[in-house]
Amino acid sequence: MKKVLGLALGILTAIGGFLDIGDLVTNAVVGSRFGLSLAWVVLVGVVGICLFAQMSGKVAAISGRATFEIIRERLGPRAGGANLAASFLINLLTLTAEVGGIALALQLASSVEPRLWIPVAGLAVWLVIWRTRFSIMENVTGLVGLTLIVFAVAVFLLGPDWSTLADQAFHPKVSAQEGQASYWYYAIALFGAAMTPYEVFFFSSGAVEEKWTVKDLSQSRMNVLVGFPLGGVLSVAIAACAAIVFLPKGIEVSSLSQIVLPVALAGGKLALAVVIVGIVAATFGAALETSLSSGYTLAQFMGWSWGKFRRPAHAARFHLSMIICLVIAVGVLMTSVNPVAVTEFSVVFSAVALPLTYMPILVVANDPEYMGERVNGRLTNGFALVYLVIIVVASVAAIPLMIVTGAGS
Amino acid sequence: MSDLPEDRRPAGRVLDARLHLLDRQILDVDGTPVCTVDDLEVHGLDGSDLPDGTQQAVITSLLSGAVLATRIFGGRPPSSRWHRIRWTHVSDVGTTLRLGVRSEELDVTWQERWVRDHVIRRIPGGSHDPG
Repeated sequence: MKKVLGLALGILTAIGGFLDIGDLVTNAVVGSRFGLSLAWVVLVGVVGICLFAQMSGKVAAISGRATFEIIRERLGPRAGGANLAASFLINLLTLTAEVGGIALALQLASSVEPRLWIPVAGLAVWLVIWRTRFSIMENVTGLVGLTLIVFAVAVFLLGPDWSTLADQAFHPKVSAQEGQASYWYYAIALFGAAMTPYEVFFFSSGAVEEKWTVKDLSQSRMNVLVGFPLGGVLSVAIAACAAIVFLPKGIEVSSLSQIVLPVALAGGKLALAVVIVGIVAATFGAALETSLSSGYTLAQFMGWSWGKFRRPAHAARFHLSMIICLVIAVGVLMTSVNPVAVTEFSVVFSAVALPLTYMPILVVANDPEYMGERVNGRLTNGFALVYLVIIVVASVAAIPLMIVTGAGS
Repeated sequence: MSDLPEDRRPAGRVLDARLHLLDRQILDVDGTPVCTVDDLEVHGLDGSDLPDGTQQAVITSLLSGAVLATRIFGGRPPSSRWHRIRWTHVSDVGTTLRLGVRSEELDVTWQERWVRDHVIRRIPGGSHDPG
């Protein structure tokens, strides 16, 4: 019974933990402009994140080495250092977006200026990192984040024309006023949002934090293979809500209040309250994950002592670097930069950085020195190679498309 | 039988310094991360401290700290700024290097101790286990 409960808890946490501000914003924007015609990208992204998250978890459980230790060891100080610089900056951008997301959600609930909420949100994130145990942090934010299921409920309550939605999803075509370049630009943004590299840093470091062994692998496989796809379904539901309400009127989503509007229309005040709780939990959970990821990547590259399972005094530089990152994120947001715009940039740059993370994982997952007999099978490697091609193409195409489309505008 | 080539391979496990030592994580005797092997100090068996590859040489120390920057950007820091872990402290070489001493006793972790004593311990809760 305890096992079943543990399994259910893991899966539920994975669903709730899948969504972050990047998924919320990108899916809503895409839904309002392209309907469900990019839903296939979410599917591609979810399969990809399942594949590589599981692989990095496996490497961490069997070798005890987290992703960035491996990147440093395989790529050396120069290429590894360049990789660290890129991953760290993009992670910082994502952290800024998440903290901004918490503040915007709290503003929706309270009508208090977000700039008053930003320092509060930053401090709350730090306090949890400083004092809370890893498993509690994971489970609470994941479970509360499950309330985002209200997006899926809202799709049914809105009573859409199902055949139109199905037609958009299964016969994707680009509308005349949007153009091919914008379509593919947002395809890459959605892909980047689903496969954000910090999820892999966090997943593999989390496996070390929770001292996974080979025995825990079947549980983690279930969490990933069931939880992430269900999280992907919620992503599509967010896009569907925006497609039903905004697409026919030609309104482009550009703020968090617009993202939650379809839910409020469908379910009234109660649904609105639930969705705000869900967004706070999802962005808060992702802010924790990204702050920890910034500490993880830096500490693992430099070989410092790291981990939440240690007292802060026993991982001093790790904790100091996270404090500095949070201060920077709060500082950037206090300049009144629009968190939604920061989010849109963060998902595209995530897509640019994808090969930097995923390539070394694939190499080490095939290295018998680390993995013993548990190196990747042929099927996994086949899938991984296909994804490597997709990832490289998306990464190379991202910046030119960003310039051509004027960042999608 | 005498025309068989002589086996010139050294007995025991062969380590490639670049492949098996450089950029590997170093753990202390308790399993706490100490640093990464940023560079190696090599001495010639004839006593020279800058072996040119013609003589037999041994690794005397693992280096960490400022040498990382010079490995990325080139050059050589003054040897007064090298932080050494003597090779005699190394107890095992695998996917990580294990030391037989505690990380506290090593010079190379001075930054960790400085940050701990001047910043982290001064914030309430810094010395307690996470609740």
